[in-house]
Amino acid sequence: MEIRINKEFCKGCGYCIEYCPQKVYELSDELNGKGYRVPCVARPDDCVDCGLCELYCPEFAIVLKKTA
Amino acid sequence: MKTQEDMAGLMHPLAAKYLRPERLPHKACPGCGIGHVVHCTLNVCEELDLTPDNTVWVQGVGCSSRISYTLWKGDNIDAHHGRIFTVATGMKMSRPDLNFICFTGDGDCASIGGNHFLHACRRNLDVTALMFNNSIYGMTGGQVAPTSPVGAKTQTTPYGNLEDPMDTCKVAVAAGASYVARWRSTDFKQLTKSIKKGIQTKGLSFIEVLVPCPTQFGRYVLGITDAKEIVQWYNDNAVTMKKAEKMSPDELQGKFLLGEFAHNEDRTGIVERYWDAVNKIQEGRK
Amino acid sequence: MSKAIKRKDFVQGDEAIAEGAIAAGCRYFAGYPITPASEISECLARRLPEVGGVAMQMEDELASIHSIGGASVAGMKALTVSSGPGISLKLEGLGWGIKNELPYVVVDVQRAGPSNGVATRVAQGDLYTVKYGSAGGNNSIIALSPKSVQEAFDLTIECFNLAETFRTPVFLLADETVGHTRELLEIPEDSEIELVERKKPDVPPEEFHMYPFDTPEAINYPFPNIGDGYGICVSPYTHTSRGYATEGMKDQDRMVQRIVRKVTAHQDMLTRCEEELMDDAEYAIIAYGCEARPSLEAAKMARAAGIKAGFMRPIFIWPFPDEPIFKIASKVKKILVPELNRDGQFSREVTRAAKGQAEVYHLGSGGVETHLPEEIFEEFKRVIK
Repeated sequence: MEIRINKEFCKGCGYCIEYCPQKVYELSDELNGKGYRVPCVARPDDCVDCGLCELYCPEFAIVLKKTA
Repeated sequence: MKTQEDMAGLMHPLAAKYLRPERLPHKACPGCGIGHVVHCTLNVCEELDLTPDNTVWVQGVGCSSRISYTLWKGDNIDAHHGRIFTVATGMKMSRPDLNFICFTGDGDCASIGGNHFLHACRRNLDVTALMFNNSIYGMTGGQVAPTSPVGAKTQTTPYGNLEDPMDTCKVAVAAGASYVARWRSTDFKQLTKSIKKGIQTKGLSFIEVLVPCPTQFGRYVLGITDAKEIVQWYNDNAVTMKKAEKMSPDELQGKFLLGEFAHNEDRTGIVERYWDAVNKIQEGRK
Repeated sequence: MSKAIKRKDFVQGDEAIAEGAIAAGCRYFAGYPITPASEISECLARRLPEVGGVAMQMEDELASIHSIGGASVAGMKALTVSSGPGISLKLEGLGWGIKNELPYVVVDVQRAGPSNGVATRVAQGDLYTVKYGSAGGNNSIIALSPKSVQEAFDLTIECFNLAETFRTPVFLLADETVGHTRELLEIPEDSEIELVERKKPDVPPEEFHMYPFDTPEAINYPFPNIGDGYGICVSPYTHTSRGYATEGMKDQDRMVQRIVRKVTAHQDMLTRCEEELMDDAEYAIIAYGCEARPSLEAAKMARAAGIKAGFMRPIFIWPFPDEPIFKIASKVKKILVPELNRDGQFSREVTRAAKGQAEVYHLGSGGVETHLPEEIFEEFKRVIK
């Protein structure tokens, strides 16, 4: 799964980090334009395409694309 | 500063298809569950071919409405506080061919809108209502709501809420709504299924969604500001109907019951009945 | 030239209002039972299904006005009716109609107040309520007042036309006397009745502004409805010209200027009065609604007694007929204003419009019955001394 994070939409709620069953996400040191600390994809190879992060994100900030 | 063009590649396909790009990111607080419900709703729009041309989003006043207003690419009709069902009545009776999804809140629906809520259910108005329940008045700063738990210390109940909360799903069932359900905003699968079922069921579909509210309910009532911990609180305090069957009334005290409480596919509503009657009257005059 | 008549009947004013609405193309009605307006609801409940329209008895007054707002947004010519206490309840909903420039008609069949008062008896206490009652001011309210059953029919049609022309709620300020009096009503053939229909935009959605803040005085402005593909945004909050919520000072000012100026810029279209015996009048009696006919009678009694009295009746009550009243005040020495309230609402406005050119006297009453011509004449003789 290709994971893209729309960092400017992120409000730093932490749901993606908490609820990914594979712990793919981590909190980064990067701040977006509004000052929120945004997540990063720390372990992309551990992703099992469950799509939960996309649903847990209330901001439509996580965009998943199924890779071939 | 990223431009709309830069972000185009990052726009979620559902948002790109159904939402106005200049209104994103929406106004919800970090961790607010309203975004979850919007996402589930858009999934249903995809499945049922609900488009900006055939579907109207209706709002009231409060977080439920301020956040969802002007998100939808189609028509957005934001009523006065509590009057969402009355405006929807005027619209649906006049344009029964259009679909209406109503975004209301616990204060908007159960408090100031209580009377209209009752009668919309009684008339079985053919719209789908999503009531965001955060058990507090969010937009105005954290005052007590008719859905707030007993003992809740809110801005207007500093010594603790003395009133019992209303079970809006029970009220909807008693008043005659065809489809009634309650889920957490994080019950994505069930919520999406319910919204779909609600839209497909004729008559009033009432879906109560428990949404985490870190800014008001979490902060004032629970003393928690971490959104994940509030989600956990809902997980600890919500029970499915199946589980509830094995629990005593004491154990169920203060718990949110999840599930489908009514699904009546036979009960007709005012829209169908009225236009049938008009057709008969006009036939009779020929 | 007299019109071809479809039907003649002996009906009460309330029924004339209902028939006027039907003739005007009203196809959505929502109301709540309230004396003395209930007969309008009852007539429409019978008649609207016959013409393929919607007649709803809603759960309360607020539901009625909010649902006609919804119906208007959905493309219908819509109507609600009530009396004083019900109008009080409707004021919030009226705000939604005013700010979102929704065309619809509200009928106030005034009765004795304050509060519930005497449900079945007349008064004229709602002059300011209909114009200034809705919170926040800055409104576009137009109000017409009938004196007879025929006029109740005719002016109802005119109210609908004005609503569409100005994209605003319009009041028919009636009263229990006109509402419950039975007189001859002549309903013209459909072809004789001129109607204003809603305009649709002739530009694509991305170019269209739902609220024309750039041209605040524009009338006959398009009004796309839900399902027209324009993605209309309607809300109770201050909005931009596209309907998006905003809190900026400039936006707020542009919005209220639009709402106010679209009416104030067209005073000429919104002024109409009836005058009798005014040509050489030295004194005038000015009244509206149910007080008009006894006032005219009183003026005639004065003439019979050798006093040069004249009579004037505004048909458009809001915007207030400042210019015609100033003209009269510049000509006559004194003006008597009979009205059915004790706080001098109408006479206060006449005094203001007269700008000191003539003395204005208020003949008040709590209502229940209209003034008799003799009562008005007695007071008239007293004030002109």
